[in-house]
Amino acid sequence: QTHISGTLPTPDAARALWLQHESSTHSLSQQLTEHLRLILAPTLATKLRGDFRTGKRLNLKRIIPYIASGYKRDKIWLRRSMPSKRNYQVLIALDDSKSMKESGASDLALKTLTLVTRSLAMLEVGEVSVVGFGDAVNVAHDFDKPFTSDAGVRVFEQFGFEAQKTNVRGVVERSLGLFEEARRKGSQGSEELWQLMLIVSDGICDSHAEIQRLVRRAQEERVMIVFVIVDATAGETVKTEVKTEETAESSGAGAGAGGEHGVVKTEDKKTSILDLQSVEISNEGKIVRWKYMERFPFRYYLVVRDVRELPGVLAGALRQWFGEIAGSA
Amino acid sequence: MDPSIADTAKVQIRLSTREDGLEVPDDSRLLFAPTSLRRVDLSRLVNNLLHNDTPIPFEFLVNGQFLRTSIDEFLTQNGISAETTLNVEYTRAFIPSLHVSTF
Ligand SMILES: [Mg+2]
Repeated sequence: QTHISGTLPTPDAARALWLQHESSTHSLSQQLTEHLRLILAPTLATKLRGDFRTGKRLNLKRIIPYIASGYKRDKIWLRRSMPSKRNYQVLIALDDSKSMKESGASDLALKTLTLVTRSLAMLEVGEVSVVGFGDAVNVAHDFDKPFTSDAGVRVFEQFGFEAQKTNVRGVVERSLGLFEEARRKGSQGSEELWQLMLIVSDGICDSHAEIQRLVRRAQEERVMIVFVIVDATAGETVKTEVKTEETAESSGAGAGAGGEHGVVKTEDKKTSILDLQSVEISNEGKIVRWKYMERFPFRYYLVVRDVRELPGVLAGALRQWFGEIAGSA
Repeated sequence: MDPSIADTAKVQIRLSTREDGLEVPDDSRLLFAPTSLRRVDLSRLVNNLLHNDTPIPFEFLVNGQFLRTSIDEFLTQNGISAETTLNVEYTRAFIPSLHVSTF
């Protein structure tokens, strides 16, 4: 158990919050559903493929070898391939660590979870699983159960955003294991299985080198990972009260400004993850700095500041992925 | 990724100072830094951010306490997790000039 039980929401509170998010994101989930319906449909089937003895259109690359072979190499035709049914497994990994609560990202993350799970349920394209991660990984909803509203409430009951670590490496590794298991169980006939992992998190994690290795492994195992960064702090202005002691220094040249003492001194802008700088001290003792997001270990990521942006940007990332797969097929 | 840089535990820190003219630029106030850093490392870091040719030695206050250990030990001793963004205030250190040359 990764939680201190006192910090988890009560079943009533979880239900109230789920229902609130479900109704506030209702029209957005419909939008996402419409986008996904177009993207997740088997688009590969409309492509012309070679090489056949009869077909719809000539494959021009085959004509010269055909003549050169004395009309023997006659597989010169392209055909439209038959669409095959696709099945999807979507695993949503939700960051349950304390930084989520402290940055105010937890609320946006729960809204995101609601929107995406409702949308996938409307689409009926496959199975949905939800896992929570912090110092440990907790399977909050299994692939083999339907994701109903009640399931949503039970998922919400398992998130307190109190975990003392953010083990992204651990959740990717565990999820690849869950996907592998699901592939073994669900290999039925001609149906294609497509596996997608959505990580919903504030994006703050270490062990980037190890994560990169796992991201490569996911690619080899044909599991797509999209990292949804909930960046709730961007652009907000926070007033910081700075108490200034009435010390001797204020009696000097600063006396004229003495009236400002004790009032709000700085207006501090909360900083977005896009402004975060990473720092390391190299073995030679040199200070190395870089923009955190420049070396973010995930290839597909989105930065979401408002849940209203989600249908558009998520659809964009998935469209790009499907485009690349179709292009390489 | 630079292969000489290993995966280390990190924490977000937000730098601030009350000393006029010693504020780091806005875009480098929020940092993701190794928890292994100590005062001397942070002092070098702030000088690096200020582009100081002649380093100024700094002291650091985390939650109002002077940092006398590594950040990691500070977190453990005070029961703070690395999930929390630390407010780190720096101030000029008044130490004998003899030691300044070691910065
Ligand atoms: Mg965290």
